[in-house]
This record gives sequence, structure tokens and C-alpha cells, in this order.
Amino acid sequence: MSSCRGKNSVDGKALKLALASAIAQFSRHVDRINEMNVFPVPDGDTGINMYHTLQRAYSEISHLDDSDVAEVSRRFAYGALMGARGNSGTILSQLLKGFAEQLQTAEALDTPQFALACKRAAQFAYEAVTSPVEGTILTVAREAAETLDLHANDVMALPDALDILVRAAQASLRRTPELLPILKESGVVDSGALGLVLFLEGLASSDGKFDFPGKAESPVAAGPGALMDSSSDASYGYDVQFLMLGKGLNIAQIRQDLGQVGWSLLVVGDDSAVKVHIHVDNPALPIDYAVQSGATLDDIVVENMELQFQRRPRRETSFAATPKHQAREAYGMIAVAPGDGLRAVFEDLGCEAVIPGGQGRNPSVEDFLVSIDSVNAASLFILPNNRNIILTARQAAENAAERRVDVLPTTSVIQGISALIALRSFEDSGEDVSGGLDSALSEMRAAAQQVCSIEIARATRDSRLGGLAIRCGDFLATGDGQILVAGATIEASMLDALAKVLKAEHELVTLYYGDDIQEREAKKLIERLSFTYSELEFDLVYGGQDLYPFLIGLE
Amino acid sequence: MTFKRIQVAADSVCDLPAEIVNNLDIRIIPTYVNIDDQSIPDDGARLDRQAFYRQLPSMRAQPTTSAPSPGEAEAFYRDMLNDGAGKIVSIHVPERLSGVLNTMRLGARAVDEGRVTLVDSLQLTFGIGFQVWAAAELAVEGASLDDILEAIERVRQHTEVYAIIDTMQYLQRSGRVNSLVAGIGTLLKIKPIVRVADGDITSLARSRTWSRAEAKLKALTQDQAPLDRLAILHIDNRVGAERFLDSIREIAPQETHIIEVCPTLGAHIGPGSIGVATLKQDWRN
Repeated sequence: MSSCRGKNSVDGKALKLALASAIAQFSRHVDRINEMNVFPVPDGDTGINMYHTLQRAYSEISHLDDSDVAEVSRRFAYGALMGARGNSGTILSQLLKGFAEQLQTAEALDTPQFALACKRAAQFAYEAVTSPVEGTILTVAREAAETLDLHANDVMALPDALDILVRAAQASLRRTPELLPILKESGVVDSGALGLVLFLEGLASSDGKFDFPGKAESPVAAGPGALMDSSSDASYGYDVQFLMLGKGLNIAQIRQDLGQVGWSLLVVGDDSAVKVHIHVDNPALPIDYAVQSGATLDDIVVENMELQFQRRPRRETSFAATPKHQAREAYGMIAVAPGDGLRAVFEDLGCEAVIPGGQGRNPSVEDFLVSIDSVNAASLFILPNNRNIILTARQAAENAAERRVDVLPTTSVIQGISALIALRSFEDSGEDVSGGLDSALSEMRAAAQQVCSIEIARATRDSRLGGLAIRCGDFLATGDGQILVAGATIEASMLDALAKVLKAEHELVTLYYGDDIQEREAKKLIERLSFTYSELEFDLVYGGQDLYPFLIGLE
Repeated sequence: MTFKRIQVAADSVCDLPAEIVNNLDIRIIPTYVNIDDQSIPDDGARLDRQAFYRQLPSMRAQPTTSAPSPGEAEAFYRDMLNDGAGKIVSIHVPERLSGVLNTMRLGARAVDEGRVTLVDSLQLTFGIGFQVWAAAELAVEGASLDDILEAIERVRQHTEVYAIIDTMQYLQRSGRVNSLVAGIGTLLKIKPIVRVADGDITSLARSRTWSRAEAKLKALTQDQAPLDRLAILHIDNRVGAERFLDSIREIAPQETHIIEVCPTLGAHIGPGSIGVATLKQDWRN
């Protein structure tokens, strides 16, 4: 059989299929990426955010049949931008945007263009982040692109170029703990970076199709595409992985032979150990092939993708924005907040739209754009109220048509509420907010920075962080992204956290209690706190947020 | 021709201290505070301020307040005319916030409408007090009605009344300033810094902490200097009022008073609040 690695370029159709395959593979790793969270609080949503981003991206190209590479990459990037959720999703969307821009005049994708597009992608992503942090998805994208740039040449086949990129990305991923101490301390690699590597691996393992645009019409090639189309009756098949151990194993031969029995093939390793990952209709075929070859098999995993697809996480569409004003206002306010109580607080303070979301549930660029559309105001402020939502909000702001949208980088609802009160105060003072948006913003920024916040969450697993031994079930108090204390009860961890954070100038403690806390319980807690801190004023407010029994503001 | 003396009158919401009222022969008609089924005149004698404010937070129902009756208003004016007043200048709590001016108008009509000039102070507490005080001084000096009315207008233009509302809960229940309440929101504890002007109360700033609110109040007060007269206002917070006065001591004029606001107003605002009423020196120019 002749080698299938002769083609040096792919067209739009092949690119589309490769993307479909990569997303299908990515979906299998969502939980694994989610679990790579560096904090033992339940903020592991990197995988689901990236997956949603990719799904939305694919929805833009799923109907394309005869488009060129420029069109496919442009639309895919557009979809990613619209669906981008969370930091990693947003950075991914920027990578795709940069990649697509490089290909805007290309009909087909060859190795030199691919290398340039990867470089452009990394540049775009870096530019999208105000202060890029190394040891993240950014580093991996950049280092992989740099390595590819060093090795790519005109005669190299595209699959080989992709192979170089993947290997460089894998190596870079392994180095992330060296660059980002928190990763090392937690014994993980960066979750966003892992997501990128898995996506690239997925592209690479679609090898056969990436290489053979002519095969796009074959039933085998249609498999992964159908995976993205929930209305299709097509079978999803089985996902088979195993390790072949032996001597003189021929990777190229194995890849070629297994290419005949399934799709989304990934064959990596050396002549003594080869990892095989393939999607097939009949899981017995690749295993049988491996046994027949004389290799020893290890780590055999067979999964039913149909069942996985049915159980896949679904994007919540229960999205509600509340347009309140008929006449066009000079300016309006959009906030992101979890829980009905916090939503009411933002609305009570005059927020025109509140997007449900927060930790573990990041709204997409599209969610923001829908909300922006719903507010009839000449300019808008957005309070993202979460570190992982700021970038998405900024993307939405940049893409809002004909309106100035300012994103105030609030990292907690506590900050958001302070900023909102500051805006109302600024209005009260008779200042013209619409004529002085910048002064309004600086007032809001100052107010957001003045308030301290403590979040109480329940640890979801045992861990060791910042010198603290944390047991699963402990109540963990964090503040400004730092772990403060862990305690066996809410009260203990709250008291310890207050002792750590309280300063002489603090007068007011606001407690927003979550959806699993009874008001009676919260009131009792306040009574005991007021006993300890008789000089402080306490304000108890129903927040209704999930994940956090209490969100606390100190000012 | 007998001397036609001008008598200055006001309602008890003007918060003038007894020595000024007595020395300048100002006539005060009390408004009423209704606690349960009791209606108590807010005359500084029959309703003990300290006791009232101490009990206010634990009262079953928030007290209401009411204007004097038309009959009382009529008797009030008749007494003054019988005592030899040629004309009466009667200065009151804003029509926008209270029914007092309406009953005073009815009372005046029943007596001799031509001899009673009703003035909407468009102010509250000592913001009314400054107008009444200046009018009474001029009346004692024998100024004309026009001069007195013109002085009242000048005083009003040079007066500011600011206050920190410690808690919005009383204003929320009172229903008298719904525009203010609706703007501030009801779910969080917020301490608005309010301004009384043009017969209305509006928010100038919002703070969640007392110290920031007080810093704002201080800045607003300092902006009014040099001052002719100053009142530090409080509701059951004399310590807070004195501390605030200390913080602005350098701009406090000779005529500085610490005033506990009458229950008629205080019932709507609640204990803890402090404020100022300032009268700029410029008013005399």
C-alpha cells in the first residue's frame, strides 16, 4: 500500500472534517480537563468552556460543503468568538481568529501557511490578554508555533508539520508547572493548555482525512462530522485505545493498516511502545490487528461514544436579560451574577440586565452580545464579576456594534456591587455620566478596589495548598484568589478568615448567603459574629448563589 | 395711627431652640406625632425626644405624623392678631412633603387672609429655622413685610441642608419620599448622603459605610464656608454630632448649634443620622 502522507495541503472540506474529528475527540476529555483545576474549590470548568466554544464554532461550518480553507477557518473562528466562554475559551477563540486571518487568501492549506498561521494565532492570543501569564495555554500555543516555525519547510507534508506541532505542544504542556508555581504545588499541568494540546492531538489523529480530501464523502469520513449533528441517526461507534509493546514496531505501518479499520486515528510512540487511539464501528478489529502483529497489549480502553454523546454536558440556554427601558438611555449596566438573590440585588441597584453566571458557569460572548442588544442604551458598562469572565466580556465589548461598551474588570460580585453603588453615587452627585464615562469608570474602579471579599466554599477533594492541609468537605475561605483558611465548619472558617482579613478601617460586613443556607441559620451566624465583632455593622442579604454558602464583602 | 407690628410664626419642624424662639417672640404651632392611637403635639415639652428615639426602633408600628388641625391653625393666628400683630409671616415645612401649609391656609382664611403671609420654606429642620430666625430679627428691627420676605428668600438661597441617612428602613416605611427610596434600592444597607432643597430630599451620594458618608458630609459642609450660621443636626446621636462638629471646627461660626431633630421629622428618618444646616455669610450682602 502506498503511503498516505504524500499530500502537502488540505482544502476546506478536509479542514472541516479534521475539526469535527478533533472536537469529537476533545469531548471525551472534558471531565479530565475540568479536573485539572488548581484549587480544590469547584471551579473546574475549563474543559466544558473550551468544548462549548468549539461546539459553537463548529455550528458555523457544519453546513458548509464546498468552501475553501479561508471560509472554513474564518467562520469557525467567528463561531468560536461568539461562543467563547471562560478564559480558556476566549483565548482559544483568539488563537482560531489569528489562525484564520493568516489564511484569508488561501484556497488550500499547506505547511508553510500552516506554520505562519500557528504563529499568528499565538500572537493574537497574547494580544488579547492584558497581562499574559506564562505556563498557560498561551505559552503552549507560542512555543509549539515557534518550534514548528523552526522546522517547517516547503517540502514537508502537512501531517508531519502537525505532528511536530503536537509534540512541541505536549512538551510545552509538561513544562507548565515549572513556569506557574501554583500548578507545581498542586501537581497538575495547566488545564487550558491541556485543552489546547488535546485539540491539536485530535486534529493530528484525524490524519487520514486531513490528508485525503478526496475521501470526505466516504461513510467513514462522515462519522465524526455526524457526531456534531445531534439530529443525525449516524452511529458514533467506539473509542478504542491501547498500548502496543514489542520490538521494532513500525509506527508508519501500524498507522497505515489501522487507517483502514476506523477513523480519528492517533498512533504515537517509538519502536518499543506505540499508543493507539482510534474510533471504530467494531472495537474488535483494531485489537485483533494488534494481537495478530505479535505485540503485547496493555492499557486497553474501549468506550461507547454514542452513550457518551448522549450524556455530554449540554449548554444551558436559560438565559434571561431584562430590558427595562423603552426610551434609549444614555448608558446602561450589565452584570453577571449567580443566584436569584444576587440578581435581585443588581437589579435593585438599577442594573438593566443580569446574566446568570459565575464560577463554574461562564457566559459566552454571544450571551453578552444578546444582553447588550437587549439594553436600549447608547453606551454600556459590563461588570463580569469573575476573573474567568472578564476576557469574554471584553471580547463581547469589542464586537458590540456601534456602541461603546466598557468592561470594568470586577473579579467578584462583591466588587461588582461596590462599583455599581459607586456609579449610582456618581449619578446622585449630579455628574454627567454619559459625558464623562471615563470619570465614572474611575470612580467605579476605585470602589471595586476598596472592598475586600471572602468566599466560603466547600472543598471537593483532599489537597495541600499554601501550606494548608485541606480535607474534602472542609469549608475553605478564599480572598482575592488566595486561600485564607480551611475549617471544619462555616463559622470556624469564617471567623478565621475575618481575623486574617479585617483591618481597622473596616466597618461593614455584608454576607450574601447561598441557595443551600437557611435564612435562620444565617441569622444565627450573624448573631455570633456580632458578638465577636461588636464594633462592626453586619448586613445579611440573600444571594441564592450555588457553590458558595457565603460570599462576604468587607468595607 | 397705631404701630402695626409684624409677627413671625412657624411650625415646630423649624427646630429653633427655645431661647431663640422666646427672645425673638416667634410663635410656633406644633405638628403631631401619632404613636398607636395617641396623638402627641411635637412641642418639645409633651413629647420627650430622647425617650421617643430610644423607643422608635422597637415600636410595633412606625409612628405617623400629622399637621395641626385647621381649627388649631385658626386659633393660632387669632391669638397673634388679638395680641396686637398687624401682619403675620408664617413660615412652614414644604407643601410637597406635608399638609401643614394647607391647614395653615385654611386657618388664615378663617381669620383674615390678607393679614397672614404664608411662606413655603422649601426646607426642613434648621433650614426652615434660618429663615424664621432671620425674619424674626428683622421684624424686631421693624423691617417692612417686603424686606422680611426678601430676606427669607436670600436666606433660602444661601442655605444648604445635608444629612447622612443611617438606615433607609424608616424612609422606606414612611412613604413620604418615595422617589428617593426607589432610587436607593431596598436590598442592601446603603447610607445615602441627602440634600434638602426646593422642598424635596434628593440623594447626593451613596455610601455603605459611615466613615465614607461622613467624609462626604464634611466635604459638602466645608464647601459652604465661610458660614454665618451653622446647625449640626442629629437624631439620637449627640456623640456623633459633636464628633462631626470637632472635625469641621475651623469653619464653625460663632452661631453654631447642635440640634436634635424633632420627632415629626425624625420618625421618618430614624435614629443615628447626622446632618448639617449651613447659612453662608454671603446672605447678608
